[in-house]
Amino acid sequence: MEPIPHSKSPAIACHNLRTAYQSTLKRPILNGIDLKINHGEFVALLGLNGAGKSTLLRSLVGLVPVSQGEIQICGTTVQPQLVDEVRKNVGFLVQGGGLVDQLSCLDNVLCGCLGELNTWQSLWGFPKRDRRVAMQLLQKMGLQEQIYQKARQLSGGQRQRVAIARTLIQSPHILLADEPTTGLDVSGINQVMTSLQEMNRKGLTVVVVLHDLALAAQYAQRAIVLQEGQVWYDGDCQNMDSQFAKLQKLSLVPSVNAA
Amino acid sequence: MKFFDRIRPYASNRYNIWAFRVLVIIGLGWAYIWSLQGLKIDPKLIQTSLPYMTDFLSRLWPPDLSIVDVAIKALIETVQMSLWGTTIGAILSIPLALLSAQNLSPLWLRWLANLMQNTVRSVPSIILGLFFVAATGLGAPAGTLALGIYTIGYLAKFYQEAIESVDKRSLESLQVGRASWWQIAQYGIMPQVLPLCLGYTLYMFEYNIRAASVLGVVGAGGIGFELVSYIRGFEYNKAMTMMLVLLVVVTSIDAISSQLRNKFKSD
Repeated sequence: MEPIPHSKSPAIACHNLRTAYQSTLKRPILNGIDLKINHGEFVALLGLNGAGKSTLLRSLVGLVPVSQGEIQICGTTVQPQLVDEVRKNVGFLVQGGGLVDQLSCLDNVLCGCLGELNTWQSLWGFPKRDRRVAMQLLQKMGLQEQIYQKARQLSGGQRQRVAIARTLIQSPHILLADEPTTGLDVSGINQVMTSLQEMNRKGLTVVVVLHDLALAAQYAQRAIVLQEGQVWYDGDCQNMDSQFAKLQKLSLVPSVNAA
Repeated sequence: MKFFDRIRPYASNRYNIWAFRVLVIIGLGWAYIWSLQGLKIDPKLIQTSLPYMTDFLSRLWPPDLSIVDVAIKALIETVQMSLWGTTIGAILSIPLALLSAQNLSPLWLRWLANLMQNTVRSVPSIILGLFFVAATGLGAPAGTLALGIYTIGYLAKFYQEAIESVDKRSLESLQVGRASWWQIAQYGIMPQVLPLCLGYTLYMFEYNIRAASVLGVVGAGGIGFELVSYIRGFEYNKAMTMMLVLLVVVTSIDAISSQLRNKFKSD
């Protein structure tokens, strides 16, 4: 892993983060988020549906415009002119992996290099050096058998691991993962979470959206729970069950009244 | 939307669901009876017309094989027309499809491009044939151009749907990976769109061979031209040969192209 730039500044810092007002929700999706995540942390992002977990993750890589507040990634402010600079440090795992089904695993992983190559360099394929790195990454993920298989032929767990390899090929300092375990069976979940944990041990900062509290407690050091676009809980992963029971009570009461 | 919200509480009642189904069946039955009246079909007419049909069909037999060479020549022309017509249409369809795709274009442009698509699609191929015969004279060039325009009406729609079915998240991943516009098109969009589009184009090629046979009727070249002149000259046996040759070619091209299409699909 390369030395971390601006290592004095935290990996991720959000200050009073707000997105545009959403008339269906009668509030912004993100409604004043303050948080700081340091280099090397493994953070689980939790919350009920619609709490703003995915939107927060997407806003960190500039996919969702921010109407108020500030985000800093490794000391760089997320804004349209600097979004390329920010994305250099961040690997983003979209929900479902976001692989191109018709390409082989190898080509999918190589797509992670596109940012480092210009259009001419990638026009007739990828450099040998990158192909070697991609193969090594796939082997590390336990996918040496699937290197030349089409992505559509993979199982859910294998897809996620290919997607992780694709983000790792740009050697990011931070990995954001949006529900990487959704729709996977138990062994798939373990494979994905274990590979995230390994990367974290090597120094990668990992922020992962999860639905499963037990999973968060097992792998993450810290949990951040969002509720209605705000940070509702930020601390260690113990006693999460009781915290969530409180949260569910809170959010159930108004919806019962509304019905 | 509001209407359905309002009737939803009623619709969840079991008896109301059944009442609704009965209403739909009565409505459909009424539509069929109404259409039949409009057609003015008389059962007696069918009975008296039956001998004419059998007479027409019996005169087709046996096929006159002496003109097989003429038939094959006309058919080769038809295939050539279809090849160029489909290609011209496919090339013209690409920009139109891009402009009408939901995930690429703003609403007003989509509206305009869809209007153009619908306009082209609602012109019958015969009219296109007549138009180009008037422009370039009798023969294959007119038919080829007519097929080209006719093809746009369908392929633009098919291409548009292929583009719209591209997985948004895969493009987002490339975008966050700092891929350029061209790189996203090359590695994200093309692999997803190309197999579908090739399959559709092949299907259109096959379809255009059949469409070209109709265009010959208005003098726009191809096998239809000979076919109609034989029928008008009461040389039914020769017409039969034409149709048999057409059948053989259409069947074999269908077999080849469906194999190819399956291959595209599995890629």
